[in-house]
Amino acid sequence: MKLARVAATVVSTINVPVYDNRKLLLCDLVSADGTPAGGYLIAVDTVGAGAGETVLLMDEGNSARQILAARDAPVRAVVVGIVDHVELASPGSGASPGAPASANRTTKAPAARRPRRSRGHGVQGAE
Amino acid sequence: MQLARVIGTVVATQKAAGLEGARLLLVQPLRRSGAPSGTPVVAADATQMAGPGELVYVVAAREAALAMPEPFVPVDHAIVGIVDEVAAADSSGPARWERPS
Repeated sequence: MKLARVAATVVSTINVPVYDNRKLLLCDLVSADGTPAGGYLIAVDTVGAGAGETVLLMDEGNSARQILAARDAPVRAVVVGIVDHVELASPGSGASPGAPASANRTTKAPAARRPRRSRGHGVQGAE
Repeated sequence: MQLARVIGTVVATQKAAGLEGARLLLVQPLRRSGAPSGTPVVAADATQMAGPGELVYVVAAREAALAMPEPFVPVDHAIVGIVDEVAAADSSGPARWERPS
């Protein structure tokens, strides 16, 4: 899976039927510290993610079809989670269990720009 | 999936079995900014409605063949949707994504 930040929503009326009523998100790939890693993906949203949120991106077809419960769907990239924060072990700490929390650097996902709606798996209607 | 611009039509009479009737379009993959990214590729048009100049999104790899009526065909890029609008959340240039009129 990849870390990404939602940049935009892709709106389309003419599409393959499997994309009907699914929200497509344009996601910029980010590195572990939250900086842009270069590149982007358009992914199907399954968690109700919104613009500005850091998300977990699945870029593998079999997993995508399993998540969407669509056996023959031409889908590869799916947003499968919203990241609260990423904890990076600081260099040299060895990341040993029980290390004090201060030994870790925490990357907070930036606050969402709008209040979050109720979540839950399943397809969100197009907005 | 990636954004791409349809830049041409490909006509091929002799095709692999399973590709009869498939619309083949030449598409230029795009960067996030709207600038071209890499070399153009030939994509099968699963929407059957895309035309030159249009902004589309393209699925690559094995999943591309799944967009076709017969899913076991030699296709590695497929147009699966025509973009109406990319509603950007920030000021990163939504104007560049507008469809040509």
